[in-house]
Amino acid sequence: MVTSSHSRPGTPSPAGSTPPPSEPDGPRNTTKRSAAAAHWSIQQRTAIWIRKHGVAPYLLLLPATAIIGALIVWPAVQVGLFSFQNYGLMQISGVLPAQWVGFANYSQILHDPEFWQSLKTSVYFALVVVPLTMIIGTLVGLLLVRLGSKMRTFVSVSALLAWATPAVSASVIFVWLVDPDGGVVDWALAKLPSWLGGGAQWAGFSWTNATLPAYTVLTVMLVWTGFPFIAVTVLAALRTLPSELLEAARVDGAGPWRTFWKVTFPILRPVFLVLALLSTIWDFGMFTQAYIVTGDLGNRDEYNLGLYEYSQAFTQPPHYGLASAAAFVLTIILLIVTVGYVRAAIKQGSLA
Amino acid sequence: MGLRKRSAVLGAAAGVAAAALAIAGCSSGGSSSAGASSSTASAPKTLTVWRMGGSVPSQVTWMNGVVAQFHKEYPQYASTQVKVDWIPWGNRTTDWNNALSSGKNIPDITELGNTDTPTEAASGILAPLTSDLSSWSGTKGLVPGMLANDTQSGTTYAVPWFGGVRAVWYRTDQFKKAGITSTPTTWAELQADAVKLQQTYPGTTGFDAITNDTNAFASFIWGAGGQIATQSGSQWTADLTSPQSEAAIKYYVGLYTTAKVSASKYIGQTELGVAGATSGGPNEDFGLGKLDLYIDGPWAKATLPKNSVDMSNIASFPIPSENGPNSAPVFSGGSDLAVFKTSPNQTAAWDLISVMDNPANSTSFATLSGFFSPYSAQISASETTGGAFNAGFAKAALNGQTSPLNAKNWPTADNGKLNIIPTMLKQLMQGAPFASTVAAANTQLQSVLNTGSAS
Repeated sequence: MVTSSHSRPGTPSPAGSTPPPSEPDGPRNTTKRSAAAAHWSIQQRTAIWIRKHGVAPYLLLLPATAIIGALIVWPAVQVGLFSFQNYGLMQISGVLPAQWVGFANYSQILHDPEFWQSLKTSVYFALVVVPLTMIIGTLVGLLLVRLGSKMRTFVSVSALLAWATPAVSASVIFVWLVDPDGGVVDWALAKLPSWLGGGAQWAGFSWTNATLPAYTVLTVMLVWTGFPFIAVTVLAALRTLPSELLEAARVDGAGPWRTFWKVTFPILRPVFLVLALLSTIWDFGMFTQAYIVTGDLGNRDEYNLGLYEYSQAFTQPPHYGLASAAAFVLTIILLIVTVGYVRAAIKQGSLA
Repeated sequence: MGLRKRSAVLGAAAGVAAAALAIAGCSSGGSSSAGASSSTASAPKTLTVWRMGGSVPSQVTWMNGVVAQFHKEYPQYASTQVKVDWIPWGNRTTDWNNALSSGKNIPDITELGNTDTPTEAASGILAPLTSDLSSWSGTKGLVPGMLANDTQSGTTYAVPWFGGVRAVWYRTDQFKKAGITSTPTTWAELQADAVKLQQTYPGTTGFDAITNDTNAFASFIWGAGGQIATQSGSQWTADLTSPQSEAAIKYYVGLYTTAKVSASKYIGQTELGVAGATSGGPNEDFGLGKLDLYIDGPWAKATLPKNSVDMSNIASFPIPSENGPNSAPVFSGGSDLAVFKTSPNQTAAWDLISVMDNPANSTSFATLSGFFSPYSAQISASETTGGAFNAGFAKAALNGQTSPLNAKNWPTADNGKLNIIPTMLKQLMQGAPFASTVAAANTQLQSVLNTGSAS
């Protein structure tokens, strides 16, 4: 019931909801048809044919389909093909023909301890960052809805600036912040009293050359750049909540905690599902930030799946086949996650 | 990989540029013997040369001199323009691959690191030069080992252009103040001196035990009498678990973990900082006086920060061996010149190489850039010149080794894909158990050297 109507603000409107042919044209054409059937121009004939066969929606979808097809589907098909071939430098340059190797690339990837290590890093990272981003984003969203309109604009614009910061800029800034020589983080931590965890051991502490500190930095950065989108989306969703429901809850004596879990959350659940799905896809597939923070490809033990895949394809000698297989494994994992979310969403929808 | 990526970002001081002018002018007047062997091929409009690193004024001047000489010695190319493209070391393999696969923007001649040559020859991007070399006057004077590095099953794919070695950089004023009277020749002395310098200059780091410069770390394995890997026939045997190699690994790791003369930030770094950087790291720290001892080649002077402290006192000594008195063998880096396989101007490209790399020109290039010439006679002549800064490098150059850093599968073992030795050193410095970590790296290395893959 309420579910579907409230999911709109937070989600992009579905591609299929193209408006039907507009009403005013209908009657006009009908009169024309009866008047001068024999003298229709080519354009008119086409228009009639389109209407008669109901292809208008498909024609309108064509440009988008063509672009998605050329930029996403076709490369994906290529990657799929490469993943079953011994595709390397000799093959890409046409010196040797590519050979089909069946599942050999997949088997090599799945037997590579480095793959499992980087998968583990990606999974743990997403498990920490997605909930953190969701919680902080929601809290800020709840705060925003209570603010006056000027303050709300100010806070949401400030937050969105963090979201709009390009990944490379954000990464470079964070690398500087945690620099062992003169980075402000080490300086501040060294100044902190010891009961707050500070002390001289932080002077010159290197954040980027071990997995745990490096991914701590990445966690802070991705939460910082990720929460504003959640906050603003949650804000938009909150503003569609019928105020009588919240009022009723208040009258019945529910505190803010209870109101959130018993009223707000159940109604906005589809929005949260979509946000969690998007965050998972972004954080699990993180590449740029990890590439910069962990120091190019210099630290193999700090790879996540993105870096692992990249190193297979673009270090010498290039193994495009192996990297394609790794990319497909990553895609399949994300598809499984997506299907899980979508199932949850549908279940929620049918229950409501 | 050669002199290690961005090592050849050899920006040079203005003074050197003046010297280069003089040398280039000199050589273009002097030697005009090599010509005439030319072909009847029609002259190309342009010849494209890919140089590695960033554009360096003194080297541009040098190249202009070479091109003038090329036009003079080969009148048929008088209208041929020579275009130099500078390729950052970190992009070279990608750019070669792109040129080869797209067929567009291909170089006629490319510089490449000497450790790249076996891999690139095997991947089919280099034209064979065997017959050109057999009739070239320069061939017989080249250092035989350097030429052998460019030869696979009897076919030569590149010509050595210059060589370079690493040594330990230090400052004579610091040694004096710390009471160090002679340069160290054993590991124990090296460590003791680092401790002394660190005590004399509080807040500085004694030595840079970086993990991501296998070209430098190799000297410690070799200096203990060990090997990284040995080859018999076509079979590689990794040798990191020999007592000698383990002693070297233990010593190097211990510089950070027990002797505490290195800093934690150097773990995971190259001599220029993080893997992709072209400046920074120990190089910068040494220049700013924050680091007392530092391993690098003479070319790295170009990347020292502009506000470096007192450069007049920089000197070098060869990397010590475990027990002295002879220094450790050192990795013979360098660059080669090769003709790109898909270049339509094979003859013209070789003719230009024969001028760039003749004894006079390659030697003047090496001198102005901090390298040594690929010609035996010129190397011996340069040992007597050069002063304190070059002393260590000149001595080290006599004791070079390249294997297994030029093995066909070495790039897989040592670059971003697996980083076997860097990762091992890093894990050990961060507290991993010694025996099992070294054994795992050894197994992985052997598998990669033999099969190109770790699993």
